[in-house]
Amino acid sequence: MAVRGYDENEEKKSYGSVFLLGTSLLVAVSLWSLWDDNITRRPWKKYQTEFYRLDYRKAKAAYDEENKKLEADPAYQELVKKLAAEEASLKSGDLAKKVKALNREEIKANVRFTEIDQGVKFIKSELEEAWYEYDHAVQQGRNTRPYQETIQQLDKEKARLDPELEAARQKREQIKEEIKKLQTGVKEMETQLSKMAEERDKWIRVMENATVNLGPLSIYKIPKIRQIVLDEFDRNNFDEPTGRVDRCQTCHMAANRPGFENEPQPFRTHSRREVLLADSAHPPDKFGCTVCHEGQGAAVNSVQQAHGEVPYWESPLLRGVKAQSSCASCHLDVQKLQDAPLLAQGQRIFEQIGCTGCHLVKGYEDLPKAGPSLRRISAKVDPNWMVRWVQNPHNYRPQTRMPNFSLKEDEAVAIAAFFWSVSKEEGEKWQEGHPLPTGFREGDKELIAKGKILVESIGCKGCHGFADGEVATVLGKEKEIIPNLKNIAAKVGPRWTYHWVKNPRDFSPATRMPSLRLADQEALAITGYLMTLGGKSEGISGIEERLSDAKNAKRGEALVRKYGCFGCHDIPGMEKESRIGVELTTFGSKTLEELFFGNRADIRHTWDDWTYNKLKTPRIYATERIEQVMPQFALADEDIKSLRILLAGFRDKKAPSRYAADHSQRVVQVVEGRRLMHQYNCIGCHEIENRGGFIRKYYQENPTLAPPILNGEGEKVQSPWLFSFLKAPFSVRPWLNVRMPTFDFSDQEDNLLIGFFNGLSKVEIPYAYFDDGKVPKENLDAARVLVSKEYFNCFSCHKQGDRNPEGPQEGWAPDLTLARNRLNPNWIIKWLQDPQKVQPGTKMPSFYPGGPDNILGGKDDKQIEALRDYLATLGRKGSAADGGRSASR
Amino acid sequence: MKSKGIVSAFFTAALLVFPLSSLLAYEGGAVSDGGTITGVVKFKGAAPAPKKLEVTKDKEVCAKSAKNDPGLVVSGGNLVNAVVSITDIKKGKKMEPQKATMDQNGCEYKPHVLAMTAGSSVDIINPDGILHNVHSYSKANSSFNMAQPKFKKTINVKIDKPEVISLKCDVHGWMSGWLFVGENPYFGVTDNSGSFKLTDVPAGTYNVEVWHETLGKVSQKVTVKAKEEAKVTFAMEKK
Repeated sequence: MAVRGYDENEEKKSYGSVFLLGTSLLVAVSLWSLWDDNITRRPWKKYQTEFYRLDYRKAKAAYDEENKKLEADPAYQELVKKLAAEEASLKSGDLAKKVKALNREEIKANVRFTEIDQGVKFIKSELEEAWYEYDHAVQQGRNTRPYQETIQQLDKEKARLDPELEAARQKREQIKEEIKKLQTGVKEMETQLSKMAEERDKWIRVMENATVNLGPLSIYKIPKIRQIVLDEFDRNNFDEPTGRVDRCQTCHMAANRPGFENEPQPFRTHSRREVLLADSAHPPDKFGCTVCHEGQGAAVNSVQQAHGEVPYWESPLLRGVKAQSSCASCHLDVQKLQDAPLLAQGQRIFEQIGCTGCHLVKGYEDLPKAGPSLRRISAKVDPNWMVRWVQNPHNYRPQTRMPNFSLKEDEAVAIAAFFWSVSKEEGEKWQEGHPLPTGFREGDKELIAKGKILVESIGCKGCHGFADGEVATVLGKEKEIIPNLKNIAAKVGPRWTYHWVKNPRDFSPATRMPSLRLADQEALAITGYLMTLGGKSEGISGIEERLSDAKNAKRGEALVRKYGCFGCHDIPGMEKESRIGVELTTFGSKTLEELFFGNRADIRHTWDDWTYNKLKTPRIYATERIEQVMPQFALADEDIKSLRILLAGFRDKKAPSRYAADHSQRVVQVVEGRRLMHQYNCIGCHEIENRGGFIRKYYQENPTLAPPILNGEGEKVQSPWLFSFLKAPFSVRPWLNVRMPTFDFSDQEDNLLIGFFNGLSKVEIPYAYFDDGKVPKENLDAARVLVSKEYFNCFSCHKQGDRNPEGPQEGWAPDLTLARNRLNPNWIIKWLQDPQKVQPGTKMPSFYPGGPDNILGGKDDKQIEALRDYLATLGRKGSAADGGRSASR
Repeated sequence: MKSKGIVSAFFTAALLVFPLSSLLAYEGGAVSDGGTITGVVKFKGAAPAPKKLEVTKDKEVCAKSAKNDPGLVVSGGNLVNAVVSITDIKKGKKMEPQKATMDQNGCEYKPHVLAMTAGSSVDIINPDGILHNVHSYSKANSSFNMAQPKFKKTINVKIDKPEVISLKCDVHGWMSGWLFVGENPYFGVTDNSGSFKLTDVPAGTYNVEVWHETLGKVSQKVTVKAKEEAKVTFAMEKK
């Protein structure tokens, strides 16, 4: 009989196999997911395990090494033996017996002490009680006598017991002390041993750090993500601050640990770790790694992902020197960063070769034009030279900063014709007032020789070269900031040259060329010499007519606008033109989609390759339909690479201020002042910030005849003095032939330079008061003796106002009456203490230590102070009662 | 080719392992049966006429005696004040630091060339009673520039590293002197007849070098036999 809804067959059917299949699938999938989640997708675990193993192995090896040393050290071994003997003795030998006996005594002494102590405590309680009864009786007006008696009785008893208690205490302590003494031998030896084994035992801690103990078992640590979060470091697309997660040290575990310098990555110690990762610099716990090295900080699933070397990740890893481009996101003053030389080099090239003439970059907007003004160009250069120069400047002077626009001859003529047409009027007017001096004869041998001597002695070579390979300040590897004059006669004539060297600013008010305060005869001699350098330019037929052809000039104007010549040159009528190139403020953040590769299939599609090739061959990406106008700068490969590092740092994101380096007013002053200093090429002659002084190579025989080194100048001189000196330089060092030129600095420029020197020397307060009136007479009297012939004989070399020292000028030293207004009083002290330290190689000898015994008690520091006071008041008008004055600090 | 590579790799490794100083180290001890090197340094060409030095300062003290430029002194065709030394000796007589004296009497360094071993000290004395300063130009040792006023009769300096050091006085520009600091005890300054003598030289072949302040350096190989005298003649000329 069939029951409804009941199917016997169905009931008899077995689903066991299905269940089995299902369960095994479930188990397999679970296992797989466990495997996948923990192993396949965690490649970093492998690295960490490997690292722990490496760390342990290295520590073990180091431990064994140290251990071997200790085993071979007889002193250590002897101590170990001694300790063992002492311990044995303490356990069962003589010492043990003594200790045992003492222990027994200690127990006895303790019992005795406790007994007496008990007695005293009882008496104290009874005293409390008696005093209570006494107080109570006083308050109730009863007779207090019996209580007084009890109190007296108890006091007496206590007075008897107190010394006994003290004796018992001392006895007990004495025994304790004796026991301790018997045991100290062991303790001392143990400390001594652990001190000797310090070098070895520190490795134990390292090994412990790489392992965990599971009961008696010891296994390598279990890998775990190591991450750092930089709060509010980034900003999202809504400009809200977001944290940056940085997990690089999950694999790069030894980045901040010494001893892994020669291991393969990812386990290598960071290069220059002690400096770059120091707590005062970039501790990885605070900055992580991606701040400098970029990459995808949060990714740990594969090396490529972590390094950000995957499509569409916009900031791939910066390896090695490339990390320098990140410095600029936190550091304003990149020039002083010793570990970013390429970035600093790139910045110098960028600022000085004229990039900003065509490209706007925030922070670099106000740089002066790189080239000379063309307002009076027709009065300056030879027209034939002009055409050839415009056509390809590198033919005439390969090291010039002026780029090659690859023009055809007729284009060059057109451009020259335009410049001629706009400068003609001004040029002719200037020429009218500036005739060639009548005394000038070309080829005058005497004049030429005189000119050559002047050129070689007054300092021209601090900036200009006069022969092949002669160069003062190089820009990058191959470029020159200032023209080499070896072919100058092909470019300019004697008339212009004479007036130019006499007063460059008369011809071109904005020029960087300073005046050397030449007398007429000197200017004439230099002109004579310069006109012997190179031959005259070869004539181009019909050049005069072609340059005065209005059609040519019109065509030239269009070309000038097309190529943006006004970016670097001051051209009449084009003062308001804007830059023709693209803005580069965020160029480093450009993605591949934003870079135009033209039809170049042979160039790898990376930002690095695009930029390198653009700088190497600026029109490389031009196609038949798309013209490119960027000219050829002919930069050396390494210059291109350093420029690229700078450009890579032009990013749309800057680090938030809490992560940034010092951006105080002082740093701003230094950065701005240094720019100006580079512009005027002060480092051609002077060493500043331990860089430059390139002219010194001509003074190797006698370095004291070279221009002074200005390291630490801000600390040395008083700001008001420096201000007027820069405005109107004069000869501080009478023995020098080389002249500090007159730059006609504006007030603003002068202040910028002073701020620069003060900033470098960390002078925070440029003005301070030195009170002449408070100088003790005793000091002045002593100093007068010290400077006299009998003692230091200072005026044997130093000038004193109009009084000159004996002997030839090259043996002289600066006028000491200048010191009062020129030198910072504190610097005088530093100087007298050790002149060689302040200025290595100076002619000034050290007089200290070792001042005379009979002056100011023979105390060197007192004598130095007295000399300072003397110098700070030397040459002043009136008496000491005149009071003080301002001085720098 | 391959074996050459291995050999040079070995030497590079050896150079890396042993610090350079250990290669330069000189070992001193007793020398028995040592030989002698004697000789003269000749000046090739016509002997230059002595050049008078002009005393421009402190004449009452400095101009007492007439001075000639000490930069090139030739006597009877031989060169005075040249230093002859063995440059490649590693083992020989004991090297003891000396106490030398450099006198500035009359604003002139006497001796003009003072030779001593590294580690020696020199007393620079000032009997002139005027200000001098002693300015050294050196590379291996640290340069010094010390004032020596009237009251400071003696300055003592110790020179630790071998090199040739120039001494100048900035107060009296004409003054010039030299310290030859030897890395071994085998050196000698040619005397007024241009001759020199190096004694107690263990038998062997050595590189013997002459240094002169204006003429530079020349050298030759000299073989010394036990208890014998090796005679050598050097010749130097203006370049």
